[in-house]
Amino acid sequence: MTSSGLGPRGPEETRRRTAELFARLGGTRAGGEVGDPAARDELVTLHLPLVEHAARRFRDRGEPHDDLVQVGTIGLINAIDRFDPERGVEFSTFATPTIVGEIQRHFRDRSRAIRLPRRVHELQTAIAAATGDLTQALGRSPTPRELAEVVGCSVEEIVEGLESRLRSTTFSLHTPTDEAALARSDGSLEHVEIRESVRPLLESLEPRDRRIVVMRFFKNMTQSQIAAELGVSQMQVSRLLTRTLDQLRSSWQEPG
Amino acid sequence: MDAVGGSRRPDVELRLPADSAYASVLRTTTAGLAARLDFTIDDIEDLRIAASEASALMLDQADPGADLLCCYFLDPGRLALRLTVQATTAAPPDQDGFAWQVLSTLASEVDSEVGDGRLTIALAMQPEPVTDGG
Repeated sequence: MTSSGLGPRGPEETRRRTAELFARLGGTRAGGEVGDPAARDELVTLHLPLVEHAARRFRDRGEPHDDLVQVGTIGLINAIDRFDPERGVEFSTFATPTIVGEIQRHFRDRSRAIRLPRRVHELQTAIAAATGDLTQALGRSPTPRELAEVVGCSVEEIVEGLESRLRSTTFSLHTPTDEAALARSDGSLEHVEIRESVRPLLESLEPRDRRIVVMRFFKNMTQSQIAAELGVSQMQVSRLLTRTLDQLRSSWQEPG
Repeated sequence: MDAVGGSRRPDVELRLPADSAYASVLRTTTAGLAARLDFTIDDIEDLRIAASEASALMLDQADPGADLLCCYFLDPGRLALRLTVQATTAAPPDQDGFAWQVLSTLASEVDSEVGDGRLTIALAMQPEPVTDGG
């Protein structure tokens, strides 16, 4: 794992050289004072194989290998600057998470830049606001056309916006307010007509998930009505229903 | 197949591999068509869920390598969807089961048919006409 491009070097040799270089670097590096810049450079070179290795783990993600090495090297340098040899931890053990973290951050930034350009993000915010206003004004959930008029964009953009909102993870279902609202709602199966064959399935659900499923499929409330009753957004109801149904599907398919 | 008009030519057809990896294409197409028909957001999301549920029922029974054929029939205020898959040993979906309960709540009409080595599920959604809010 630590064979480098500089020629064969055993892990033992690398470890010894690393300790030497950190000693030359001195103890107060995080403050910005570098004892011996040449030692720092050599540390980077010595541990570049760690970066290479980490970059290879992400080779199927469609980013040029060199870019990943470059990003990973930033992680390596950060690790060198923060490493404290006194702690008795192996440098490679310490540095790997920092390197991998830096590469992952790169992917997160890239994918956010691709999937959620600023315009889409603004559009989502506008759709959310308009949905709330219109639902109140109309007494029902709005159509995409009505949303498009208020937001000032095309119907297609609304549909796309809804889609990405549904997938987006930025609207968590598990914010404290949601939990509180869901806990107040009535998910009991007492006064609902449910076939005996279905009952065990519903009883297997978390009380919170069961409430929404019962309201939608057994009390025939619309998503907007459920949202209003629970004080959450319709999109959150939609997302929770979808997730719960997915979960149920995989459980009932097991017995074949 | 009362839910969907017998020999009428579909307005939109979609043929997909009968594989859950393509379920999102079915969902997105269905939602997009419902938006064109001026369905409300509630109804669109319901249709999206119904499409997932119906396709899950079908994929479960599909022959290996089969295609899922999705035919849409569009009318003002009404969307009907007929899903057909090659399924030699198909059994009709359990109408007492939860999946069917979900489908029949979400759609105004649901129907299934088994025969000729194929499984068909048809559903239609015809919401109350929306009142113009202004």
